[in-house]
Amino acid sequence: MKAFLQNTWKHRAHVIMALPVFLILFFIMYVPMAGLVMAFKNFDYSKGIWGSDWNGLENFKFLITSKSIFLNMTKNTLMYYFIFTAVGTFLNVVLAIAIDQFVFKRVAKTMQTLMIIPVFISYAAVQFIVYAFISTDTGILNNALGMDIRFYSEAALWPYILTIVKIWNSVGYGSVLYMSVLAGIDTELYEAAEIDGANKWQQIWHITLPALIPMITVMLLLSVGSVMRSDTGLFYQVTRNSGTLYSTTQVIDSYVLNAIFKNSNFGFVAATSLFQSVIGLLMMLFANGMVRKIAPENSLF
Amino acid sequence: MSKKKANADLAPSRKEKKGIGQYILGFFLLLYTLFCALPVVLVIIAAFTDEAAINANGFSFFPEKWSLAGMNSVLRYGKQLLVSYGVTIFITVAGTALGLLVMSMFAYAISRPEFRLAKFLSVFLLIPMLFNGGQLSGYIVFTSYYGLKDSLWLLILPLCVSTMNVIILRTYIVNSIPSELMEAAKIDGAGEYRTFFQITLPLLKPSLAAVGFMMATAYWNDWQNALLYITSNEKKPLQLLLVNIQKSIEFLLNNSNVPASARAAMGGNIPQYSSTMATVLIVIGPIMVVYPFFQKYFVKGLTVGSVKG
Repeated sequence: MKAFLQNTWKHRAHVIMALPVFLILFFIMYVPMAGLVMAFKNFDYSKGIWGSDWNGLENFKFLITSKSIFLNMTKNTLMYYFIFTAVGTFLNVVLAIAIDQFVFKRVAKTMQTLMIIPVFISYAAVQFIVYAFISTDTGILNNALGMDIRFYSEAALWPYILTIVKIWNSVGYGSVLYMSVLAGIDTELYEAAEIDGANKWQQIWHITLPALIPMITVMLLLSVGSVMRSDTGLFYQVTRNSGTLYSTTQVIDSYVLNAIFKNSNFGFVAATSLFQSVIGLLMMLFANGMVRKIAPENSLF
Repeated sequence: MSKKKANADLAPSRKEKKGIGQYILGFFLLLYTLFCALPVVLVIIAAFTDEAAINANGFSFFPEKWSLAGMNSVLRYGKQLLVSYGVTIFITVAGTALGLLVMSMFAYAISRPEFRLAKFLSVFLLIPMLFNGGQLSGYIVFTSYYGLKDSLWLLILPLCVSTMNVIILRTYIVNSIPSELMEAAKIDGAGEYRTFFQITLPLLKPSLAAVGFMMATAYWNDWQNALLYITSNEKKPLQLLLVNIQKSIEFLLNNSNVPASARAAMGGNIPQYSSTMATVLIVIGPIMVVYPFFQKYFVKGLTVGSVKG
């Protein structure tokens, strides 16, 4: 203990350098974590989080009684997570390989620059662009097809719309990561394979893909922890927060945002938030444990 | 993961035949590029399209009539637009600078060998990535306990420090800055702070550029914290202006019983298609212009970030 204190004193400059981040994390991240106790309280603004009365599992009972809302948003959250992760990872890899295989490098570079642009457009802006394409009267799609589809009241269409918007937004950017791995593959491997008579597809299958596996693992692992979280802007802004669409577009994060604005149901929301955080934690620990067993060098901690 | 010198650029050209396959591949890549770029092009076109043409024929890539009216009417926001631009630029610059400074100090500190507290600090850093208080709890703590409602601090602090970014910076310090340099500086009599600011920080530049650009984008595009916390006009960032435009459109749509005369009276404030798109263009424009210059850095930064420290 004394040695530890001496060591800390000797490194006091480092302690001071670490202090700002320590304080910011403490006040911005840690204190709200403690705030999750309100899941077990009957929250009252005038008494505050810590002063409100305990009410045991009351909030969770409420969660079960209003289970249609709860189940719907949990289902949507998970559904979009799986669609986005599966489709996203697949397309990221395909695009990275495609650009890597393309021999006209200058053209490829320009194309890549254009493909990345959408990720820099906020969803607050994206929703106007989406509107220009799918609005009923003025939308490009309806005009081009000569139809009158009321996209903003057809809940069933939104899983497709949101997936397309998400792909548009993130695949160009997501593939960059995989491309940097491909750039690190020794070209001699390909040359040797060619001499051995392997064709392009065989080269991709036996050289390129295996090289990408570690990166794919890390990215999936990182995403697992946020299985209960969503790209809030996509669900809140792009759908114009339209109630008609909630059955397919309401996710936990957008529900919570709405509840804050409506200043209502805080007990229910707190219970949901706790549920969301705990599931996230468990998933993360589980995934990390799995990776540690299979490929320890890729685990996160 | 490849520990080879991570070449941020495209893979070196292999000797390959430019056969028919390459042209087919190129065609598909072109299609995807158009899919990504055309919506942005539409914003530009619509911003300069005549309002009546949009009302009659809908949005189009080939408008019947061009017009500057949309752009002009953006000036109608006049002062508010300037104020919002100022707010957005301020939080972007201040937040990014503050974040880079404190995060690189932290990264430097926890990467010092023989610093025993570093272990605890690393765990302290990692936990927020695993567990999170959620939006509601944060909202109540920030507004009623810290009393920061309508404060620019809430646009800056929540996006300022992220575990992932600290890990990226730390990885770069450990892998790419020779520790001999820092030791040599110390032998020459430089104190800890001087070593950090004069030796480490300059060498950290590529990683700072990468992390900084990603942070700046996050600040520029943040609408959620603004919507949650900002109420006064003089603190509204650009993204909140966009959200407000959408809300007022919605208000008009949902209140069809607003009498025509009242609508006419509100005339100046009814957001029109072309002027809305002009606003969108003005909001997203700066990032589009700046981004190509930073592209090589953030590719590099992403690469570094993926390597576990």
